[in-house]
Amino acid sequence: MSNIIEIKNVTKEFKVLNRREGLKGSLKDLFSRDYKTIRAVDNISMTIAQGEIVGYLGPNGAGKSTTIKMMTGVLEPTFGQITVNGNLPYKDRTRNAQEIGVVFGQRSQLWWSLPLIESFKLLKDIYQIPDEGYSSMIKLYKSLVDIEPLLHKPVRQMSLGQRTLSDILAAFLHNPKIVFLDEPTIGLDVSMKNKIRTLIHALNKEKNTTVILTTHDMGDVDALCQRIVIIDKGKMLYDNDIEHLKGFFGSYRTLKIRPDGDIKDHSDAMKNELAGRSVSVTSDDEWISILVNEDKTKVMDVLNVIQKSREIRDMKLEEISTEEVIRKIYEEGVK
Amino acid sequence: MKRKGLGFYLRIYCKILAQDLKSKMSYRADFIISTIGMIFTNIAGFVSFWILFRSFPEINGWSYYEMLFLYGFSLVSLTPVQCFFDNNWSLRMYVYSGDFIKYCFRPINLFFYYQSEVFDIKGLGQFAFGIGTLIYSWNKIGLGFTPLILLKMIVFLITASLIMIAVMNAAAATCFWITNSFYVMDLALKFKDYARYPITIFSPVFRFIFTFVMPVAFIAYYPSLVILRPDDVPILSWLSPLFGCLFFYLSYKFWMFGAMRYSGTGS
Repeated sequence: MSNIIEIKNVTKEFKVLNRREGLKGSLKDLFSRDYKTIRAVDNISMTIAQGEIVGYLGPNGAGKSTTIKMMTGVLEPTFGQITVNGNLPYKDRTRNAQEIGVVFGQRSQLWWSLPLIESFKLLKDIYQIPDEGYSSMIKLYKSLVDIEPLLHKPVRQMSLGQRTLSDILAAFLHNPKIVFLDEPTIGLDVSMKNKIRTLIHALNKEKNTTVILTTHDMGDVDALCQRIVIIDKGKMLYDNDIEHLKGFFGSYRTLKIRPDGDIKDHSDAMKNELAGRSVSVTSDDEWISILVNEDKTKVMDVLNVIQKSREIRDMKLEEISTEEVIRKIYEEGVK
Repeated sequence: MKRKGLGFYLRIYCKILAQDLKSKMSYRADFIISTIGMIFTNIAGFVSFWILFRSFPEINGWSYYEMLFLYGFSLVSLTPVQCFFDNNWSLRMYVYSGDFIKYCFRPINLFFYYQSEVFDIKGLGQFAFGIGTLIYSWNKIGLGFTPLILLKMIVFLITASLIMIAVMNAAAATCFWITNSFYVMDLALKFKDYARYPITIFSPVFRFIFTFVMPVAFIAYYPSLVILRPDDVPILSWLSPLFGCLFFYLSYKFWMFGAMRYSGTGS
């Protein structure tokens, strides 16, 4: 497998005006040259092979979109070098654009008032897609999803789910080598999410398209990605197999408890009772989750402690989920 | 990949245009109302013009029909900016919301792709009105008709259009720096109202401004001198096609520079 994307020691800095508070501050800002430099992406290196699906994760503001913008040629790296398919994206933006597809979750790139099929025809001309390529792609689409009802519907009349689906289909239409998907499943219902994951997976298999996916939905990661890259505050935290990542936290399990009475109160009390043991307690409306490091503490011990002072109505034990692994990395980093 | 020349862009534009018209027709009420609105705007403009010049049969050596000619000339030369570059008015919204980035991912010229998205059909009413005014005043002045004068007419109409397009491009592109370019664009549009008067009626200060700072005098006055005063054409008139191309090119460069700078700061 050859590398389609190579990122070498890439840093992106932005200059931001130091803003002051209040009306007086705003007035001063008008004449201020007081800039500070922010590193949105800090010395990142990675290579991505043709046909991979890479989950690109990180909390909000971690620098994911900035990296994607550099790979698509919209932004120029401040330092370092990116090659995509042999091109320097920023120097050859249009040439690079020919070989990539981009979907930004909530910003449709289709012509708002046109039916999907007409958008496809325009894209066919813009990307100079040969007739055979175009019709075989449409045939493939028809075998994967039920696009017949979408084809003749103007994009503005579509639901968010239909629009996202259409955008993804449009991004793959010219059979690009790489497709960037920025939060493709944001705001969608469960069944639509599933449909879109299946579609992305099928297109990746069928066309060997490299897919780079940013998401906050671990369902996407579990369904699609073999490899994940995690960044935070512009720095790379992790780049490896997803299984390998779970291995880091293999000895963790989550104990879920539903006690009698107010969950919030109980969860606060438990935090005190369990202080000193290597556990972390969180709660939602239904469950109190206790993440237990089994190398240090036994689940049974934890259970013993907490049932001394309360009735437990329901409980279950879960293996650590990708979501929790990622959360731990965001919070604590990889040790 | 084949080279993308003028033919390629022309073909794409025609296809987008055809689709756009088709979908516009489907909003029938909007289409009819905006057409009626355009007709009334033109009639109102003409009536105020007529009332003004009924009391002054001549201004600074310019007869009523010559003024009418200028008026028609400016209407026709404002048509392309209205029809083909109307998306400039939405630019600030796209920039403000960050949606502008979606235009950066296609393998075609960014400026072309952005402007191709909107074709404002209302401009055609203005075009018809302007042509009518031109022909009427043409007859009344008794200019006669030769292929040469027609050629001059076409060249100078294109010149004038290019200048107006350049002004609006540049005004719209300011939003890449200041986010809200509405007032700049509105100001630019107000200036075009001065285009329909002979520049000699203004004081030297304004003459200078309208020639070199906001080149509105090139929209109708300098070009139409070639037709109306063929014996006494100032050098600026002959240079105006050159200026037209130059201004357009500069405004395009300015627009693209702004677009690159903007996406360069992230959103």
